[in-house]
Amino acid sequence: MDEMDFRPSAAVSLGVELELQLLRAHDLDLSRGAADLLELLGKRKLPGAVKPEITESMVELNSSVHLHHGSLRDELVVMRDAVVKEAGVLNLRVAGGGSHPFHDWADRRIFPTGRFRAILERYGYLAKQFTVFGQHIHVGCSSGDDAVYLVHMLTRYVPHFIALSAASPFYQGEDTEFQSSRLTSINAFPLAGHMPFVRDWAEFLEYYDKMRGFGIVASMKDFYWDIRPKPEYGTVEIRVCDTPLTVQRAALLGAYAQALAAYHLEERPRAPARAVYLVNSFNRFEASRFGCRGELVEPYESRRKKIGADILQTIETVMPHALKVGGADALTELAADVRHGYSDANWLLECRTMRGSLPDVVREAAARWAGTPAGVR
Amino acid sequence: MDLSFLPQLPFALSAPIMFGALLAAGLLAGEAANRYASLPRITGYALAGVALGPQMSGVLSREVLHALSVLIDLSVGLIVFELGFRFDWRWLKRNRWLLVTAVAESLFGFGAIFGTLVYFGFELVLAASAAAIGTATSPAVVMLVSHELRAEGQVTERTLLFTAVNSVFAYAALTLLLPLLHLELRAGWLEALLRPAYILGGSLLAGVAACMLMLGLARWLGKREDRQFVLLVAMVVLTVGVARSLNLSVMITLMTLGMLARNLDRRHVLMPLRFGYGGQLFFVILFVLTGAGLKFGAWATAAWLVATLLVVRFLGKALAILVFGRLSGVRPGGAGLLAIALLPMSGLAVGMVRDTSALFPVFGQQLGGILLAAVALSELVGPLATQFALRRAGEAHPGGQGG
Repeated sequence: MDEMDFRPSAAVSLGVELELQLLRAHDLDLSRGAADLLELLGKRKLPGAVKPEITESMVELNSSVHLHHGSLRDELVVMRDAVVKEAGVLNLRVAGGGSHPFHDWADRRIFPTGRFRAILERYGYLAKQFTVFGQHIHVGCSSGDDAVYLVHMLTRYVPHFIALSAASPFYQGEDTEFQSSRLTSINAFPLAGHMPFVRDWAEFLEYYDKMRGFGIVASMKDFYWDIRPKPEYGTVEIRVCDTPLTVQRAALLGAYAQALAAYHLEERPRAPARAVYLVNSFNRFEASRFGCRGELVEPYESRRKKIGADILQTIETVMPHALKVGGADALTELAADVRHGYSDANWLLECRTMRGSLPDVVREAAARWAGTPAGVR
Repeated sequence: MDLSFLPQLPFALSAPIMFGALLAAGLLAGEAANRYASLPRITGYALAGVALGPQMSGVLSREVLHALSVLIDLSVGLIVFELGFRFDWRWLKRNRWLLVTAVAESLFGFGAIFGTLVYFGFELVLAASAAAIGTATSPAVVMLVSHELRAEGQVTERTLLFTAVNSVFAYAALTLLLPLLHLELRAGWLEALLRPAYILGGSLLAGVAACMLMLGLARWLGKREDRQFVLLVAMVVLTVGVARSLNLSVMITLMTLGMLARNLDRRHVLMPLRFGYGGQLFFVILFVLTGAGLKFGAWATAAWLVATLLVVRFLGKALAILVFGRLSGVRPGGAGLLAIALLPMSGLAVGMVRDTSALFPVFGQQLGGILLAAVALSELVGPLATQFALRRAGEAHPGGQGG
């Protein structure tokens, strides 16, 4: 049971994982460069870690643990620069965004490790369709009970994270009219969804043992939930975000998660409520389809609100806690984006209108990820 | 009764009949080579050509082959255009060691052949000219094999890049050697200097002009894949035609067009290029016709020299890639495979040998046959090497259909 021992970590410490697209320079389609890129990066000293992901067209950046989103952002910039530089050696481009706009999923190749091969064998084509790119945010908790409480609390904000990160309007060469089409690929997995309504860590372990006993899961990794406790890191992991188009925005999302967690863990303003899970899939759909313009059902007050307005109101509520953990500037920036109707998805859509084709969108997204000013590439 | 509506026998082999029959023959031979002998399809296409050509059955006589040379030029034009279009200056800028490796690959290949020929007592300038011709890797073979396997990865990309570089190197080196050849052989000054200058300069200019026209038209057409595809084909065919009419080099003109189209298109008006099944037609025709034109003659007299040349050429190229490859970011094992993938000698050599021999008959008498025999062998065996290398590198798509 070792792996299920909750290893406490500094409360509201912060870390992120970013899944990135590896692109061919000549046609901007997804490449198969992960192994070569990881080999080159292996020769460099880097903060954090760069790891393989399910297909050869992706790599994952793992940050180290931070107490402040600013240092997280600085570290991500260093990692990003290294990845972009080494990718250049192989004539690959790197980009954020939740989906590749026009790749053909059938062309994807599974990264050859035991676990990924097992996933392909088990899930068939779903494994290749799983070539979507997400940001995972880890927030530290000092106990398993805190983690369970925090999962219940953060579930209320799932539509916020979807709307704020949305960056996958295109899929398989088409405009999906979704702000985040990526979540649809994840919904297909049998163990997607959310954590059951357990009261504390002991009850969670009971549930976990039962699922293991049934042979449905072998480890926590098999749950593809939107938010899940991660005992081995001592964190709660938010998994609904698309990878944003820039590392700066990835750090902003981290700051928002951190402020929300600080607010809930310190003030304990609400008790867990089943109603949150009743409205969850409706809210989730609204957020992935319409982003901040969508509506959510507020489960505690049982009324409808615009997602954007709800985010602005929440930011106001948690601002004192953001001030304490040094995230006030980040939240102000996010709020401004919400007011101006900015989302990475809208940026991509505009890019397509202006430049005229999806390869152009990918090229611009790669330049934006690399932090290259327009015209220098 | 008037039977004049019936065709006269034997009826004439019209162009469509020839074109269709060559396609079908190549296709079937390729499939048979693949099914029954596990050979790459290209080898089958070329074998069909050998069987139909003047060396064997004679269905394709020298006159017919000459008449069909426009098809060869069109195919070569499309292929080198695509190769040029894949050539990315920015990659060489980002990865200086790659540039060093590419140049070294050409130089070492050249040096190895040159040294061997000098060792065997050939005159310096003749040896250098032959070495220049021999340095080029076949664009057609590497393009077709990578298409067939749907190969993708560093070995594939670098094979294409190095092929573009060594093809240009071969042509440029040969052109620069011609004046020296003149001194050696006392040919006419004017022709020896003016001719290469006209061909090289004219081909470059024609490529630049075609590129400007194409970019302008593409911008006006807008970003639609279907329209741009037609535009690309139209421009390539037109440019091949112009290059032929002006007695320029189809290879240099179209390579220039492709390279500039990629690297001068700052506003990205051109969409990524996909010739798809259409390109396949030209590949089949090209290899059947190249096969028909292959000359094995020197095998009878100088087999050992031909074989030695192919081996040292490989060793020279391999040495360059092994020495500099790691610095340019090739993973362990990739360097050797890259050298194997670059084995097939270029069919373009046939044209270069012909042109050089026309100027300097001595060259043709001494070295023409040897080079042509080397080309002949590598057209048949080379595809196997490239296919092996790309497969072994793990870069072939499982759905790819190489043999």
